[in-house]
Order: sequence, then structure tokens, then C-alpha cells
Amino acid sequence: MKGGLNYGRNRKMFLFVLPALICFLAIKLIPAIMGIFYSMTNWNGLNPSYKFIGFENFKTLFTDDPDFWNSMGFTLKYVLFAIVLMNFTALLLAVLIENLHHGKGIFRTIFYMPNMISMIIGGFMWQFIFTQVLYQFSQNAGFGFLDQPWTSDSNFAFAAILIVAVWGGAGYLMVIYIAAIQGVPQTLNEAAVIDGATPFKRFLYVTLPMIRQAFTICFFITLNNAFQVFDVVYSLTGGGPGRETQVVSINIYEEAFARNNRFGYATAKSTILFLIILIITFIQLRVMKQKEEEA
Amino acid sequence: MKRIVSAILCFSMVMAMLSGCSGNPAVSTAVSGSASSKGEPKKVTLNVMMSFPRFMDQMQAYIDQFKKKELEEKNVDVTVNLEMPSSDQFETTLKTRLSSNDAPDLFTISANADLATYQKAGYLMDLSSQPFVSKLYANVKKTVTYDGKVYLVPFESTIWGYLYNQDIFDKCGITVPDTLDDMKKVVTTLKAKGYTPFELAFQEQWVPQLMTALTLGGLVSGSNPDWVKNMYADKASYKDVASIFDPIDLIMQNGTARAMETGSEQGCTDFANGKAAMFVDGTWASEAILKAKPDMKLGVGALPVDNNPKNTMINLATTTSLAVHANTKEKETALDLANYMLDDKDSSKLYKDLMFNPVATCHNYDQYSWAKQASAYVEKGRAYTDLVLPNAVTDEQGKLLQSYYLKKTTKEQFIETMDKTFKEANKAAAQAKG
Repeated sequence: MKGGLNYGRNRKMFLFVLPALICFLAIKLIPAIMGIFYSMTNWNGLNPSYKFIGFENFKTLFTDDPDFWNSMGFTLKYVLFAIVLMNFTALLLAVLIENLHHGKGIFRTIFYMPNMISMIIGGFMWQFIFTQVLYQFSQNAGFGFLDQPWTSDSNFAFAAILIVAVWGGAGYLMVIYIAAIQGVPQTLNEAAVIDGATPFKRFLYVTLPMIRQAFTICFFITLNNAFQVFDVVYSLTGGGPGRETQVVSINIYEEAFARNNRFGYATAKSTILFLIILIITFIQLRVMKQKEEEA
Repeated sequence: MKRIVSAILCFSMVMAMLSGCSGNPAVSTAVSGSASSKGEPKKVTLNVMMSFPRFMDQMQAYIDQFKKKELEEKNVDVTVNLEMPSSDQFETTLKTRLSSNDAPDLFTISANADLATYQKAGYLMDLSSQPFVSKLYANVKKTVTYDGKVYLVPFESTIWGYLYNQDIFDKCGITVPDTLDDMKKVVTTLKAKGYTPFELAFQEQWVPQLMTALTLGGLVSGSNPDWVKNMYADKASYKDVASIFDPIDLIMQNGTARAMETGSEQGCTDFANGKAAMFVDGTWASEAILKAKPDMKLGVGALPVDNNPKNTMINLATTTSLAVHANTKEKETALDLANYMLDDKDSSKLYKDLMFNPVATCHNYDQYSWAKQASAYVEKGRAYTDLVLPNAVTDEQGKLLQSYYLKKTTKEQFIETMDKTFKEANKAAAQAKG
């Protein structure tokens, strides 16, 4: 009797998941596996015939490709800054919004809206702002410090990319943090007030530990997305000037579609990127899940 | 009952998603001709992919003319599916279609950049015996020939150097310079009269790359004709042509400010509004420039490379050209369409509407004044065919020039990196041959 009920429920759940599962398999998993096969060939995306060359692509990657490793270094720098800035901004906004008396809904919407704009469009918008609007401001409204080489100097370009990325991504994390903060039992907070804790101490010792799960999720999402960032950088600086702000995904894109059209080699690079992200996120999840359980 | 309903819903969702996966991303129109009275016309469908969406209407009208002609003369009812993806996605879309056995019957590629690649991959039909070939101008025919055979119908053939503002030149009493020293004098005169000599728009890397295209082109064609061949054989170096930095430095040091923040469209507008006297861009920019200022007087000059006037020549490049797929099933009709592009009666109007230069003897339309100016160089023999360099090399030149402008790369680093890039491109081409 009990077995029959479970079987029926499992089948229903499976049927509901089926469309998404089929899409995931067909669009993400199967091409990825086929890609691993192509990474061992020298296909250039056009020739109807290609040669199987084994691990030579991987050998070239580890010995003769300084651009890839430079872009990997830049991506790591970006990931570090992005995780810290995005989560800090999102948490700050979440706390501020939760402490408002009215207008919670409005502010939530306003801060979430940038997330709804495709980051390519957002990037192009900001490119216009950085190159034209800020310049006009600095000339005509006296904000001289705004006249900087926002997209043509590597440090300023890095700052510009971070600004746009945080602007676009913080909203999503903020919503998660708001949900987590709302899940903190009121009784704990009231107990802390009775014990004479200041709002800051309350935040530090009551709220933060209770939203550890949200941290794990948000860090995971930021880590994953920041490693694969493409649209923001592509539309804002194109990886430029030169290759100063080139992240790994743009390096792979350039290898496949622009440089020498080495599709096989580019797929090999994306396989390596996949492995690196897999290892790092695996470590991150393990460490933070452990800390969750300790709390 | 509930299980059946949920199963049906799941099934319909899967079907909806799968049907959404396929389908044409590009715009396509299909119009068939009317039936004729000579008996049942043969039905033929042609798939055509072209890469200038801004000329969709003109091409569609021209193809309608073709359909009428085919019906009257050969009793063939042609349905043409014309697709025009946007130019930045065109190449990827075309390559995907060619690789997945969904190839169009006719498609456009860039003659100077892609002819070798596509021919080696076996996708181009040999058109040498077609009637249109005998109509082509000799220097244009060279640009669509590979290994002695003609593979493309040229569309966009540009004759270009740098653009200048005729009004500013007249006001300062300047004539087009033939040597680098003369150009330096022009720059000094312009600055004395308060004009900025050059418009710099380096945000998009293909614009600074035009400087290397012109300087290398002039220097190599005039004084060092074996350089390209030797580079392909890993036997030469960019050190041999290091004097291209003389004109490049002159341009970069006497140009508008904020070059890295100015895109090509912005550059055209600024140039049209007189912010600078000269602009290193091709005649294809005339459309954007005249849109910004319709009464602007444009002039075209050959960019001097050094003090040898023999090296000051105009660049002849054929870009967008039409190819016929080697394995097309409708060979006869496809070839008819290709030949119709250079039809004796109708082609002149098409090329004039699209603001393309004449490429064949059947073209007898009036050109714009700057186009005539550029053609005059060709008639005097002061022109060369655009150098065919690997795509990776031209891209890298653009990027390095951006870095060089920002003083992040030195001349020596430029030479070293370009040599390395060329060698890598040679290696990749040799690898891909297998």
C-alpha cells in the first residue's frame, strides 16, 4: 500500500521534471560530452573533415598559451572582487530594506530591476554612460574626477566591469538574503533585545548565523557565474584594451571564432575551464556546508 | 484522470519546447512567380544567404526581377528564400549551416579574407567558365581568383585610401600629399590654421587596423613585393617593414583626443562635422558620413608611407562576394542567379543603388565624385590589391595598435608579437590541412 503511493508520486514528479530534463540533456549535457570528443581533434569549424589528434590540444594549452593563463589570472582576480562586492552589497541592501517601515516592496523592485535587463544590453548602456555621459558631466557640471579613461585603462576598466556586474547581479542575491532574513525567528530577536543587545550585535550574533544557508547558496551562485562571465565584459570593453580585461570565456570565444578558428582547441580550453570550476565549487560547497552544520 | 491530464500537459510542453528549438533565426521571404501559359513551369527552390541586411529591400526587388526573367526565358518557377543575418553573426551562422548539411545554394563571403579558407574546405563551385567572368575588370578579377580559377561574383569592391574634407583642404590651400614629408607639411599647415589633422576612432579594433592595411599595402606593393610570400613561409619579419610606424606615429600624434572612446560611427559623424580634416577610413564610410552631413565634400587620397612616391598607392579590395555552393542540387538555376548579378541590362542600377563601385564592363553608371577620384588612381596604375593576411594577423594588428596608442606596447613588442602571431597562424593552417 505504501509502496504503491510512493510509486505513483515518483512517477508524477518524474513526468513533471521530464521536459526540463530533456532540454537539459539535449542542450547542455550531450553537447558538452560531444565537445569533449571534439577537443581531441583539430577541427576549424568549417572543414568537413578533421584529424583526431589526441591530447595535443591539452599539451599546447599547458605549454604554449600565455594568453589563456593571463586571462585565467584576470578572471580569478575578478571572481574574488565580484564575490566580496556582490554579496556585501546584496546583504547591505537586504538588511536596509528589511528595516524599513514602509516601501519595502518598492525598493525591492527597484533594486531587483537591473537583474531583469539582459547583461549585454546593460553592458552597452553602461558603455555609453562611461564613454559619453560621464565625460559630458565632467565637462559641464564640474565633476572633474569623472573624466577618467573608464574603458581604455586596465584599472579603470576593471572597476567599470565590477560596477556593472554588481549593479546587475546584486538584486538577485538581495532577494535571497531578504528571504533568509525573513526566516529568522522573531523570538530569537526579541530575546536578544531583552538581553540588551544593540542592533549591530543582534545582526552579528543572531541574524548572520541563521542565514548561513543563504550564504552558501549565494556564494555558490556568484562563484559559478563570475567564473563564466562573458556578456558584461564583452559589451563593455570587448576584452580590451588589447587583452587587458580579457576573461577566460572571451579568450575561448576569440580562439574559436576569431583567431585561427581552432574549434577543437577552444573546446579543449572550455573542458579545462569546466574542470577548474567544478573543483573550486566542490571545495566551496564542502567547506560551507560543514560550517553550516557546525552552526 | 489526473494522471492522464498531467501526462498530456507534460507531453505538450515537451513538444512545444522541441518545436521551438528548430526554426530559422534569420528573416526569410518566399515569393513564387505566377504560372505561365507555356505549360507547367519547372519548380525550383533556391536558398540564398547574404550578409548586408541594410540592403534587404534592394536585393529582394532585384531577385524578383530575376524570377520574372527565369520564368519568361526558361519557364522555371523559382522560389528564392533570401536570408540576411546581421553581419556580426553572419559568419558563424554560415559556418554552422555549411557544417550541418543545411547549406544554402548561394552565399556571400569576403573575397580577401575568406576565399582561401572556404575553397580549401571544398564549398565553392568553380565559376571560371561562366559568362560573367569575361565582363570583370582585370584587377577585380584578380581578387576573386584562387589558384587560377574564379570562385566568386564580386559585389562590394572598394577602392580606398584615407578620406579628407575638401572644404578644409581648399580653405588652407592644401593639395593631396604624395610623400610623407609633404604629409608632414600638410599637418603643420592644418594645425597652424587651427584644424585637427586626423580623426582618431580606435574603440573598435578594425579601424586602427586600416592603418596597417594601408601602410603595409603601399610599402609592400611598392618596394617589397615578396614580403607576404616570405611571411607565409616563416622567412620574413615585421622588422623588414618597420618604417610603417613613421606614418602611423604621425597620425596618432596629430589626431583628436579620446580616440579609445570614439567608435566608428561616432568617428564618421565627428569627421562629417569638421572636427578633423582627414580620417583613415574607407569609402564604405561615405554612407554614414553623408547621413550626418549630406552636403559634405569628401575626397579620397592615397596614404603616403615614406618619401618614395612609388609607395603611395590606393588600395583595391573586394570584400562581400557571392559564391555558389559546390554541391548545390539546383546547379543551373543557381548559376543563372550568379550570372544575373552582373546582367548586362539590370546590374548597373543595382550596383548604383547599393553605392558599390563598378566591377565589370556592363557597369556604366555615374559614380560619386570621391569614387571617381579613387578610380583615377587606378587608371594611372597607382593601385594595388589588398594584401591577403590571415585573419588572426589582421585582428592582432588592430589590438596591438590600440595598445600602442595607449603607450602600453612598444614598437619592438609590436614587431615581436606580430611575428609570433603570423607563425602561429601558419602552424594552425598547416595543422588544419590534415
